[in-house]
Amino acid sequence: MEKSCSLLVHFDKGTPAIANEIKEALEGNDMPAKIDAMMKAIMLLLNGETLPQLFITIIRYVLPSEDHTIQKLLLLYLEIIEKTDAKGRVLPEMILICQNLRNNLQHPNEYIRGVTLRFLCRLKETEIIEPLIPSVLQNLEHRHPFIRRNAILAVMSIYKLPQGEQILGDAPDMIEKVLLTEQDQSAKRNAFLMLFNCAQDRAINYLLTHIERVSEWGDMLQMVVLELIRKVCRTNRGEKGKYIKIIISLLNVPSTAVIYECAGTLVSLSSAPTAIRAAANTYCQLLLSQSDNNVKLIVLDRLNELKSSHRDILVDLIMDVLRALSSPNLDIRRKTLDIVLDLITPRNINEVVLTLKKEVVKTQSGELEKNGEYRQMLIQAIHSCAIKFPEVASTVVHLLMDFLGDSNVGSAVDVIVFVREIIETNPKLRVSIITRLLDTFYQIRAARVCTCALWIIGEYCLSLSEVGSGIATIKQCLGELPFYSVSEEEEATESSKKDNQVNSITLSSKRPAILADGTYATQSAASETTFSPPTLVQGSLTSGNLRTLLLTGDFFLGAVVACTLTKLLLRLEEVQQSKVEVNKESTRALLIMVSMLQLGQSSVLPHPIDNDSYDRIVLCIRLLCNTGDEIRKIWLQSCRQSFVQMLSEKQLQETQEIKAKAQISHAQPDDLIDFYHLKSRKGMSQLELEDAVQDDLKRATGEFVKDGDDANKLSRILQLTGFSDPVYAEAYVTVHHYDIVLDVTVINRTKETLQNLCLELATMGDLKLVERPQNYTLAPESSKQIKANIKVSSTETGVIFGNIVYETSNVHERTVVVLNDIHIDIMDYISPAVCGDVAFRTMWAEFEWENKVAVNTVIQDEKDFLDHIIKSTNMKCLTAPSALDGECGFLAANLYAKSVFGEDALVNVSIEKQADGKLSGYIRIRSKTQGIALSLGDKITLKQKGGS
Amino acid sequence: MIQEAPGSIFFVTLKHSVKLFVLYWNKVVLAASIVSKTGKVLVSRQFVDMTRIRIEGLLAAFPKLVGTGKQHTYVETENVRYVYQPVEALYLLLVTNKQSNILEDLDTLRLLSKLVPEYAYSLDEEGICKTAFELIFAFDEVISLGHKENVTVAQIKQYCEMESHEEKLHKMVMQSKINETKDVMKRKASEIDKSKIEKGRVDKGGFMSLQSMGSGRIESSFSDMSISDGGSGGFGSSSGFGLSTDIESFSSKSKGRPPSSATAPPKGLGMQLGKSQKTNQFLESLKAEGEVILEDVQPKAGQSRSAALPLTDPITLTVEEKLNVMLKRDGGVSNFDLQGTLLLQILNQEDGHIQVQIETGGNPGILFKTHPNMNKELFSNENILGLKDPNRPFPTGQTGDAAGVGLLKWRMQSTDESIVPLTINCWPSVSGNDTYVSIEYEASSMFDLRSVVISVPLPALREAPNVRQIDGEWRYDSRNSILEWSILLIDHSNRSGSMEFVVPAADSSVFFPISVQFSATNTFSDLKVLNIIPLKGGSPPKYAQRTQLITDNYQVV
Repeated sequence: MEKSCSLLVHFDKGTPAIANEIKEALEGNDMPAKIDAMMKAIMLLLNGETLPQLFITIIRYVLPSEDHTIQKLLLLYLEIIEKTDAKGRVLPEMILICQNLRNNLQHPNEYIRGVTLRFLCRLKETEIIEPLIPSVLQNLEHRHPFIRRNAILAVMSIYKLPQGEQILGDAPDMIEKVLLTEQDQSAKRNAFLMLFNCAQDRAINYLLTHIERVSEWGDMLQMVVLELIRKVCRTNRGEKGKYIKIIISLLNVPSTAVIYECAGTLVSLSSAPTAIRAAANTYCQLLLSQSDNNVKLIVLDRLNELKSSHRDILVDLIMDVLRALSSPNLDIRRKTLDIVLDLITPRNINEVVLTLKKEVVKTQSGELEKNGEYRQMLIQAIHSCAIKFPEVASTVVHLLMDFLGDSNVGSAVDVIVFVREIIETNPKLRVSIITRLLDTFYQIRAARVCTCALWIIGEYCLSLSEVGSGIATIKQCLGELPFYSVSEEEEATESSKKDNQVNSITLSSKRPAILADGTYATQSAASETTFSPPTLVQGSLTSGNLRTLLLTGDFFLGAVVACTLTKLLLRLEEVQQSKVEVNKESTRALLIMVSMLQLGQSSVLPHPIDNDSYDRIVLCIRLLCNTGDEIRKIWLQSCRQSFVQMLSEKQLQETQEIKAKAQISHAQPDDLIDFYHLKSRKGMSQLELEDAVQDDLKRATGEFVKDGDDANKLSRILQLTGFSDPVYAEAYVTVHHYDIVLDVTVINRTKETLQNLCLELATMGDLKLVERPQNYTLAPESSKQIKANIKVSSTETGVIFGNIVYETSNVHERTVVVLNDIHIDIMDYISPAVCGDVAFRTMWAEFEWENKVAVNTVIQDEKDFLDHIIKSTNMKCLTAPSALDGECGFLAANLYAKSVFGEDALVNVSIEKQADGKLSGYIRIRSKTQGIALSLGDKITLKQKGGS
Repeated sequence: MIQEAPGSIFFVTLKHSVKLFVLYWNKVVLAASIVSKTGKVLVSRQFVDMTRIRIEGLLAAFPKLVGTGKQHTYVETENVRYVYQPVEALYLLLVTNKQSNILEDLDTLRLLSKLVPEYAYSLDEEGICKTAFELIFAFDEVISLGHKENVTVAQIKQYCEMESHEEKLHKMVMQSKINETKDVMKRKASEIDKSKIEKGRVDKGGFMSLQSMGSGRIESSFSDMSISDGGSGGFGSSSGFGLSTDIESFSSKSKGRPPSSATAPPKGLGMQLGKSQKTNQFLESLKAEGEVILEDVQPKAGQSRSAALPLTDPITLTVEEKLNVMLKRDGGVSNFDLQGTLLLQILNQEDGHIQVQIETGGNPGILFKTHPNMNKELFSNENILGLKDPNRPFPTGQTGDAAGVGLLKWRMQSTDESIVPLTINCWPSVSGNDTYVSIEYEASSMFDLRSVVISVPLPALREAPNVRQIDGEWRYDSRNSILEWSILLIDHSNRSGSMEFVVPAADSSVFFPISVQFSATNTFSDLKVLNIIPLKGGSPPKYAQRTQLITDNYQVV
């Protein structure tokens, strides 16, 4: 059992204080110097020095001091010094402090009494406390509430000690009497708390006899009352009837903390709809009345919990929850929307969508900086509403289409994706959407939105007039041909020098990116982020968006334009009777395509057309010159089919996820049942076992020790020295969250006594030894268990090395045995996690460390290799399994994991099957810190060979 | 566990059985800390027991968890919640568990954030380090054992300054006493001087040495006393000064208070608290949903005596009889068993030497048995209960939860139907799709019965049964399918009563066993305490007597 630590103070190692100096200052009469020395002594103690020689000095020279600060520092000193010997017995010299404590407890200064009583709360040695008990009890009746408050707490702490019931058996009686007469709020709370902890029946009785007045009690006391009710009802469910009324009466008190607590208690006690509704109402009220963001977020968390267990009740409150959108904080809005989206039913969908629409309109007027992001959130919310309830789509789709020209690319992309889905799923809306889209197409500014919009136009313009206006719109947006004139060319070459500078900046900042399908690519120069250089835009302001984008060198868009035109023309052939008209349009389209190619090969633009786009445009040209039924089928039907397939797959995936979620909550009929009381109860008393909620506190203070499988334990033993070394050592390494514990067994293999044997450890990486090594004496052929704690502060592979140093009686040199290195595995710190596609890609772009590992493996199958990497790195594959299906010889996937310290680890696997059957490619690891990238890379290099 | 680490501050081995030190409450602040933005821990005060490695780990993880650009100031991890506030280049943070009440924690944090500038020179690392201990003292005043105290900044400053009026007063008194004694000493010294001079005339040599010796001794005894135990020393008694009067006033208050204020059970009407229309509706709907709501919440009879009321009478005698009765459903008694006890409880040791004079009602069916330690002859001859050894006192104090020491036990068994205090008649009859059940009770005239509850099991129903007629009140517990018929008091005005209700057709055996609860203030034995005889002389001490008849298991089968 390790000692607990009650305070930490930063200690500057640069100026080490010497024990002698401290001693001198303590002996002197200069008060400030004495105080200073006392502080230094405490800091040294906190840093692991023991300073045994100071104790007597302090007893002699500091104890009698009248100064209050000295007395308080003295108490701190006493709090942290070692009061017991190795066997747990109280050191005899501790008796010396008893007298002083007793004087302090009878001190005329009420504050000295108070702080001394508070100190007693932290004292655990019965031998020291016992003589002080009469003085403590006297203080229960002191005039000053400050003393009474602390005296009651001291009594509680003493009573709770292992022998407390023997030395202070009548404490509950006394405290009960105190409680009856006490007027001070805080003291009353403490007294009730004491009864609650030590004599629960009495606390209940007090509560029940004063039941009418509970609502008038102070908020602190009410909190304890609620806690008591919870505890009683947990152990004895039948009793809750008595208490529900108290809770209800407390729901109307002024203190919000109490109200919040009440709601929590109500939920934990009852599952009756009225109770849940009351609790949910309370939460909603808090949500609206509290201006603090923290409170709002946590209340939303509570509502979220309620939602999962009592969805039907929260459905009625959906509009109340929605009102939280008025907060300007994005996190709150996001959480609110998340909750609301789960609560939508056919009955409230219209109301909800109406509110969301209002919010969307609001974002247009206000000039808040986060409006764009918020709008994106709202659009996504509306999108998912519309998927669940297709009938609302018609009411929102037109409103949303106003945002196609939004300067926030994200929300515009969301809108167009939404439109694309709706136009397929709601055939009734097709005509109106197409008309609208063609009308607003010229407003679209972003290339990504343009491409998607063009696809919709190409795919869903069916009638003659639609096709006609589709072609017209594209032409209009492209402007007059050609894209550049020869005279311009010369000017342009000059100006392009300037552009080169501009572009070179954008180019240099350009980095490889992860595409949506998980492939790793270098994006073609002009993504939507690099907007048109101003010199080339002259004249294009009138001509439209497509032209502007093309002139910035976005030839991918050019390829999409070409395809769309081709598609429209193929359709035109079907709907237009007059061959002449078709041919006319066809030649115009060919002209456009050719102009684009010309532009791509000219020197006007800083860089020429890329090969992919070139090929595609050329393909379109060929196609238009020579159409056939086969081709027509591919272009006009297959595209749509694969889109439909994609949508259905998405839906399938969602339903599967929901199913998976639903399955998690149910136990299998043949599952093992965990009996709580039979579980590991290491270091827990019976009383605490009964109280499951206290686990929370235990986890927080780190007291929970998981009892691992013993067999597992054996596999983690590391041999540190050889069998023939004079000292044999092996270690068992336990990795907790923030620390590593080494249990080292040291065996003396010689026939001699080893003296001053010391296990010296050193660390590499982000590891820190917590304590100094100790010296031991080891008898011949005996063994010794040594424990060492190492603190970890970030995720990376650490190495611990060290040696064992000892002396023997005849040789006076110290002998050194060097130990094997202990490698701390990074896998203990990372766990699979999930993050969204977009989030992954932004992180990928942001993170500074990349580690590129070439694939070198004996595994022949791409899929097997990926599985192997996932298994050995303990990461989660974000790429959907369906995307990994099939035998194409390529594979690209994204993996993600998070460390216990909250760091992200991103991995991209891109592999290709070579002609000789071997796999080649790269695994790239990115992270914010160097440690993860390096360690994970090492790990993968080590494991990727596979085979075993 | 390592046993060889006496010097290390991190390792302690507790050999004896380790009971985890108190976990007072589920909702606590684990620690209040100040860390720099770079993650350096400047000051941290823990309020519950946790190891150093744990708190350092938690605080080291914190800066990594704090995101930028967030508008809220809390972070949750798997196990803990950090609530923080940036203060210039520092973070002031509370580490709490996740159950903790966020509203309260924010209050605490706000208070701390006001305190830090009060005590720190400057809000940077240096300033905090310099005033680390002052900050720790201030933190201690805000949070005690993990719980927030209701204090203001001004109060905390006052607490930390520790300016005490009483101490000044105490010092003045001390000073004046010292001065006084010094005067006395001087006077004495001069007297000695004089006598020495007188003597010195005879013998001039030894005088100087004697004087210095005498005065020196007195001085040293002063300093001894002021340092050592203030309570026992002659001057030190003034530490009780101001205190002794308090104790007086407290004790007189508790004596002066009529005991009834604490002992009186809540009014018969039960809880009145804010019984607005709304609350009532709320309760009704809860009940309708099957929650058990007790309208009359009274402390349990058994417990309250021992626990709720601090006994004010020095001696308490309790007569209690428990009834175990099985009535047959078509009349007759299958079992009637009565067990009675006389309990004695004495508060103070000095009242232990007594004997108790009792009177029994002369019921021939009752056999008395005394405690083995009792003087049997004295009892059989004079009806006096006393210990065999008259020099031994009765045990005192509130031992355990039993209400004192048992002196006497008695038992009565019978099959005589006439002595049964309450008989129940239940007639279920099926008519069409319904079963009509009529129940009537008949109480014997011997007793006035209080809080009678007759619980009739019903077939599982979705709705409450249709009660057509009732004397008293009824309540339906849908969870357990029990109809409870309660009558507050049965006395001569209502020795018999009935109720009738209708349920869907059911077998008549469903309605049995009917169980009954009641209490009464007179007993079968009619045992009375006449007097308390003090053995050590003096006036008979005050005593209180309680008599009660309660049901233990009273059923109609």
